[in-house]
Amino acid sequence: MNASAHSIPHGHDDRDAHGHDDHGGGHGHIVLQYQPGLPLSKGKLIMWLFLSTEIMFFAALLGSYVVLRFGAAVWPKPHHVHLSEPIGAFNTFVLICSSVTIVLALEAAKANKVAMAKNWMLATLLLGSLFLGIKGYEYSAKFSHGIYPAQPHSRIYEKPDLYYGSAVRARLDELRKVPLGLVPAGLRDEADSSAEAGGTVDLLKRLDEAPAEKLSAEQQTARGRFQKVQKMLTNPGQQPFDLAVVADQIMPLPSEGAGSHGGHASGLNDDFPWLRLPTVIPGGNMWASTYFLLTGFHAIHVAVGLLVFAILLTYRLDRKRAGMIENAGLYWHFVDLVWIFLFPLLYLF
Amino acid sequence: MSEPTSPADSHGPITRVGAPSSTVAHDHDSGHDDHGDDHGSHGGIGQYLAVFAALCLLTTMSFLTYSSVWPWRDQPHVGWAFMMAVSCTKAMLVVLFFMHVLWEANWKFVLTIPAAMMAIFLALMLVPDVGLRNRMVSQERLLHMARPNDLLLMEQAAEAQVLADPVAH
Repeated sequence: MNASAHSIPHGHDDRDAHGHDDHGGGHGHIVLQYQPGLPLSKGKLIMWLFLSTEIMFFAALLGSYVVLRFGAAVWPKPHHVHLSEPIGAFNTFVLICSSVTIVLALEAAKANKVAMAKNWMLATLLLGSLFLGIKGYEYSAKFSHGIYPAQPHSRIYEKPDLYYGSAVRARLDELRKVPLGLVPAGLRDEADSSAEAGGTVDLLKRLDEAPAEKLSAEQQTARGRFQKVQKMLTNPGQQPFDLAVVADQIMPLPSEGAGSHGGHASGLNDDFPWLRLPTVIPGGNMWASTYFLLTGFHAIHVAVGLLVFAILLTYRLDRKRAGMIENAGLYWHFVDLVWIFLFPLLYLF
Repeated sequence: MSEPTSPADSHGPITRVGAPSSTVAHDHDSGHDDHGDDHGSHGGIGQYLAVFAALCLLTTMSFLTYSSVWPWRDQPHVGWAFMMAVSCTKAMLVVLFFMHVLWEANWKFVLTIPAAMMAIFLALMLVPDVGLRNRMVSQERLLHMARPNDLLLMEQAAEAQVLADPVAH
């Protein structure tokens, strides 16, 4: 379509065209000239239209996050929810690198350097996969701490109140009837191996009575914590502070001072992961909802980008494909752009 | 009117005035792009690497607010403003250089400015109902929502445990 635009002779400007129209039939024929509405290719136009809807999509998500966060009475600190700033910063670096490699792939394709374009494209694909891998690792760290966007997986309670106390008691009751197969090795005895599988066992009683030499020093500390939790939960003169102590024994919120070197104070849930006791993170539920929504949608966009790169890799990436690579690159840079805002908002605010 | 067309090819039509002539210039421009015939006027590996270095530097700068070197740790607003400034700078670098917007014709404003305005309005619309949701809350909600004193209670509990048993913590 641009070839027709080229057919306009130089010096043939608007005044000339107007003059022709005035003396319309004088030349006997009308030469129709097609000019595109916008001076860019169709694919690029569509990509930019799509990106402008994406701007609004992510602006709505980021805007609601900001509004929810600053309107909240309490919002967890990054360490309260086990976010690691160095990991987030490294992921930012990975995405920036991938933005450079896709630009280099485009330049190589424009210069008709097919092999080089393919290598840069492959590097982009690998860097994007690395980003997703790190993101998956971060997600698994959240899941292992019981941080999910919703019940029943989520173990987050907003405050150490009576509801929290009864949730911990309910979980402890559940643990009394643990199937035999789930009993950790340290707490098994000889009689278990002869008993039939699938039976239930009073796990907590065993934890109380386990011989000290079978438990490591850390596990003995943890058992001390466990006994303290049990005592405080059943205390008739219970105060809100006692439940805060229970929550602190189960999963302490790292203080800012200790957190500056990434220190992770451990609690009962870290010592005995199978306990899966409810935890207290003030503001943690709203945090989890926004975190998983924002990073989830971003991760979906990354995955789509990787799919596009994988498809592009099956082509010969020469000069003819430069337009396609440019459009894929535009999308990828936008995904990078979203992360540029997500990283400080989620990890550093 | 056709004289300014050739310099427009190399510098881009950003500073151009006069719509009809610039349209012709863009046709010329995009025609070249389709043939993959790059003058080297924009892009260039060196420039991309410079932008990359700047982006890495800026990421390190925003990461600085997290480190103990940052002098305004007790005033989070300083860090927030700084990080947003850094993020906007990074975003501009990516948009202008990697997405080639610096060298695009004026259509870029048609697409980006309305989208950006919509984005700002979308966020602003949320402020009365969502942002200010805790200005007036029911008594029942007040009982169940997390409040700053819950965080305080947790911190006091942690301190009490450290005092009682320094080894365990």
